[in-house]
Amino acid sequence: MEFMPNFKLYRPDNVDDAIKIKTEHAEARYVAGGTDMIVNVRRGIEQPQSLVDLTSISNMNDITEVDDGLQIGANVTLRNVRENQIIQQNYPCIAEAAGSVAGPTHQQYGTVGGNLCLDTRCLFYNQSEWWRQSNDYCLKERGDTCHVAPSGKRCFAAFSGDLAPSMLVYEAEINVVGPSGSRRIPLLELYRDDGMAHLTLGPGELVERVHLPMALAGDPSRYEKARIRGSIDFPLAGVAIRLRKGKGNAVEDVAIALTAVNPYPKIISGLQGLIDGNLGEDELDFIRDAVRKQSKPMRTTTVAPWYRRRVVGALARRLAAELSA
Amino acid sequence: MNEIKPSQSIGIRKSLVDGPEKVSGKAKYSSDFMPIGCLVGRIFRSPVAHAEIIKVDIEEAKLLPGVKAVITGDETDEPFGILPIARFEFPLARDKVRYRGEPVACVAAIDVETAQKAIDLIKFKYKELPAYFTSKDAMAEGTVDLHDHRPRNIEREVDFELGEVDKGLSDADFVIEESFNCAEVCQVQSEPHAAIAEYDAEREFITVRASTQVPYYDHLMLAKVLKMDEAQIRVVKPFVGGGFGCRTESLNVTLICALVARAANGTVRLTVSREETFITHRGRPETDIEMQIGVKKDGTITAVDYTAIQRGGAYSGYGVVTILYSGGLLFGLYDLTAVRYKGFRVLTNTPPPGAMRGHGITNVRYAFEALLDKIATKLKIDAIEIRRKNLLKGPNYETLNEMFINSYGLPECLDWVEKESQWNQRKGKMGKFRGLGVACGHYISGASKPVNWTGEPHATVHLKLDWDGSITILTGAPEIGQGSSTMTTQCAAEVLGLDMSRFQIITSDSKLTPKDNGSYSSRVTYMVGNATIDAATNLKKILIEAAARKLDANPDDVECLGEYYSAGSQDEGLTFNEVVTAALEGTGTITVKGNFDTLPESWGTKKYRGGAVSGSMAYAYAAQVVEVSVDPDTAEIKVERVWAAQDVGKALNPLSVEGQIEGSVWMGMGQAISEGTLYHNGLGITNSMLDYRVPTIIESPPIEVGIIESIDPNGPFGAKEAGETSLIAFIPALTNAVADAIGVRPTDLPVTPDKLMELMEKNTNNAKSVT
Ligand SMILES: Cc1cc2nc3c(=O)[nH]c(=O)nc-3n(C[C@H](O)[C@H](O)[C@H](O)COP(=O)(O)OP(=O)(O)OC[C@H]3O[C@@H](n4cnc5c(N)ncnc54)[C@H](O)[C@@H]3O)c2cc1C
Ligand code: SF4
Repeated sequence: MEFMPNFKLYRPDNVDDAIKIKTEHAEARYVAGGTDMIVNVRRGIEQPQSLVDLTSISNMNDITEVDDGLQIGANVTLRNVRENQIIQQNYPCIAEAAGSVAGPTHQQYGTVGGNLCLDTRCLFYNQSEWWRQSNDYCLKERGDTCHVAPSGKRCFAAFSGDLAPSMLVYEAEINVVGPSGSRRIPLLELYRDDGMAHLTLGPGELVERVHLPMALAGDPSRYEKARIRGSIDFPLAGVAIRLRKGKGNAVEDVAIALTAVNPYPKIISGLQGLIDGNLGEDELDFIRDAVRKQSKPMRTTTVAPWYRRRVVGALARRLAAELSA
Repeated sequence: MNEIKPSQSIGIRKSLVDGPEKVSGKAKYSSDFMPIGCLVGRIFRSPVAHAEIIKVDIEEAKLLPGVKAVITGDETDEPFGILPIARFEFPLARDKVRYRGEPVACVAAIDVETAQKAIDLIKFKYKELPAYFTSKDAMAEGTVDLHDHRPRNIEREVDFELGEVDKGLSDADFVIEESFNCAEVCQVQSEPHAAIAEYDAEREFITVRASTQVPYYDHLMLAKVLKMDEAQIRVVKPFVGGGFGCRTESLNVTLICALVARAANGTVRLTVSREETFITHRGRPETDIEMQIGVKKDGTITAVDYTAIQRGGAYSGYGVVTILYSGGLLFGLYDLTAVRYKGFRVLTNTPPPGAMRGHGITNVRYAFEALLDKIATKLKIDAIEIRRKNLLKGPNYETLNEMFINSYGLPECLDWVEKESQWNQRKGKMGKFRGLGVACGHYISGASKPVNWTGEPHATVHLKLDWDGSITILTGAPEIGQGSSTMTTQCAAEVLGLDMSRFQIITSDSKLTPKDNGSYSSRVTYMVGNATIDAATNLKKILIEAAARKLDANPDDVECLGEYYSAGSQDEGLTFNEVVTAALEGTGTITVKGNFDTLPESWGTKKYRGGAVSGSMAYAYAAQVVEVSVDPDTAEIKVERVWAAQDVGKALNPLSVEGQIEGSVWMGMGQAISEGTLYHNGLGITNSMLDYRVPTIIESPPIEVGIIESIDPNGPFGAKEAGETSLIAFIPALTNAVADAIGVRPTDLPVTPDKLMELMEKNTNNAKSVT
């Protein structure tokens, strides 16, 4: 690891102050658990003069039951998500996803907000300053070519957070707060298909909390990620699936979302045909193929893109089979 | 009185003597030394893979306030290198850079920010040359040579034939061949490289502390590049966080640190990042192997014919030795009657590999054991039986290259893994996607001829006995986490019959401890262990004579019971402290010495050039059975269980022997299924612990360790190598198990899920017949 450069650390205790500091210091960046930010600061990927630490903001720290569902503050740690009984019971794949992030020490510090707002990742980007400089940087940062797809002008860095897909299948919404007030939007709308700017947050905006709807509480779900090692590794491909069954084991509702195979967490479309039917071999194959078609991994990791695509389909099929059994 | 017995230390599970410091965090590693006024060193590294240096402009950097020195390749024109025949690497590049990340300049400044600012002010002007990142490209016609004296970028070509290979192949009932590729791997030891150098201008004296396995070779190389008298240099090895061979030669970090400290006329601490540690490298080279084995129908091997090509990086390092080991160490495990070997060590524009654990033989053994397994399947011979069929024949265990083998516990290792894994009941009946595999390995117990042949004994140990009755062991043998200090203490304590608590140990300080070649080639237990026994025996003789004088007895009649010396049953006897007082009377503090030398019979063969490499006083043997399952959807391999038997001669400390064998399994698991460096135009893209995937504790399978004790006649209490052999056996045992599980055999390492899925899909029907 490289040395830690100097920066000024702010630790506001309310959202308004955080936004104010962030707006006043154009170069400032938010930090929560710091498990991703600090790595990037040490590598010179981020060179903030100031960091605004959000973890002292007390009303972002809790998991709260409300009338229409469950609220998870952005500062809640992955460990607390993993261990929370309501989440385990009502939104099981979210607890599962939290428990699959990095390793236990990261989960101790890493937060929900940091995980949802995680920067996109690429082999040519998540490297030391010396490395990136020697490689003439890239489109995403200071450079003018993409080393993954040199002929294009797009960045394909992969969004690799584990939580987002697990929350997307529960149709999560988020509270975004910024200089011009607060808004509640579907989590899906936090993201866009651009590895360079995958978040739709405006200047100074932050994610305050996540809202999980009551209507879907208790729906069975699973999350699984392909990785080389059973710990530490980011997902090579991750898939969350929520499947509710009704009479005669027929599918009442199904949602599938992916991570690490696109610059944004991806909801799988075109599953309506499965509703009211049973999941036989053909339907499971259909799920596998739909997932493969809609995932677009690029050479952003050391593992071959074709493998990530195949495996994400295979995992989706397997989880669907498990949930429909 | 007669129930007093000497204390026993050998063969008993002993916790490591330096454990408390490590566990409590008191242990000081190189980077923990931060004297007042200590400067920070930082290296400017080449951004390009191959270029002529036009200018390294350091003027602006030098003028930056807080900068105390900036040095470049102009600082020294003395090259370094482990092998006297291949010293052409400079601490800081001169004339040319040859790999991305090669050190070009170094700054010493008051703090790290200033040092980095200075680095940013260095202007590096160069003219790029064509660069070669694969052995094939580097050896091709019309390439630019990395070094003028190495045409076609061949560092060393080895070519020998022992026995009649063509005849052996034509006499064979089957000849099977295969190509294998083993990715380059690194040690990823826990401590990144670090050094601290303190220059004393008044006395023209320098003290260097460094994370090293070879303080003595550092001493030699420091004197060479600094152009200082060896007597003006003190090298100290503090606690070291592992090595596995990456610190078996002097590293540029240590040499640069000393150079910049002298230039700054002060003390400089140079600690490098994990990425820089990867770049400093000295891991295992990428190796391409093509191998043919001829066999009779009954499984008897008639001939082996193979080629190994190693991507050797930009400098030699241990390269010549590595490519020789890849030939010489094919022998000594099985009875081979005809072997032809061609080896090419190639120079490429990548960081130089070194002498990684299982040096030189790991990849070749992997190929051999995989091929043998394939043959067994083809001939429908049990995989353990085919190995038994080809065992060396006692009592002399002769090999074509004249190895000196006096203990050979391989048959017992095979018996043990066969029984414990319930091989006969379970092999072939594991069901789909689950398999069992077996493989063997062996390794030397120290190279019988050291790389620097100076004539002095291989190992020297001092024991100092003082009036307080304590004994201090003084040894140059570098404790790097492998447990050598504990081993030495056990040996001395056992001979003298004393409890280990009577001993303290001081290691690896060139002003205090006798010179030692270092911790590599599994030499320390064998050589330093024997030297310790010799020293303790000499001390015991002195004590017995002193006791005899005091008791007015004949020394032959004095019995040493550790804490008590007596002469015959009538006698009152003397306590150890009384004996010490008697021994010191008139002479004062005693320091005795013990030596060890290898026997000329163990110096290897003269049948081919370089045949001395792989000569050893003894060889350790291993057999392993690995059980795996393969996920049919993701092609992930799970190691379910491992049975690892190793003939270690004698387990001096069964606890650390087990630790070594378990560690070998883990390290082998990395190379087998997840580790491998990758480069993008010569830039290492896997130079972090996230992208270079060392297995975690989650991947660790239950490991059953079987210790086989063949009691080597020349080993210390019969002991041999314990730290490398099992690593070698694991890798092919795993791939053989994978072949058993999925019916198709992986040939390239590591067997990552993407590679395995490709294989599985090719082998569509997953028939359980391995061909
Ligand atoms: C070795 C290693 C392995 C890892 N493996 C995984 C993995 O397997 N899966 C995975 O998902 N992640 C992984 N991570 C990344 C990281 O640990 C987690 O994603 C973690 O959840 C990030 O949370 P944090 O609070 O530490 O984020 P921080 O590092 O503090 O912040 C991350 C980003 O989010 C922004 N941010 C934080 N909070 C908010 C907010 N409330 N509103 C707006 N922006 C915000 C920050 O500005 C920053 O850009 C790994 C990291 C490391 C170092
Ligand atoms: S995808 Fe291209 S532009 Fe984006 S980070 Fe990777 S190399 Fe840079």
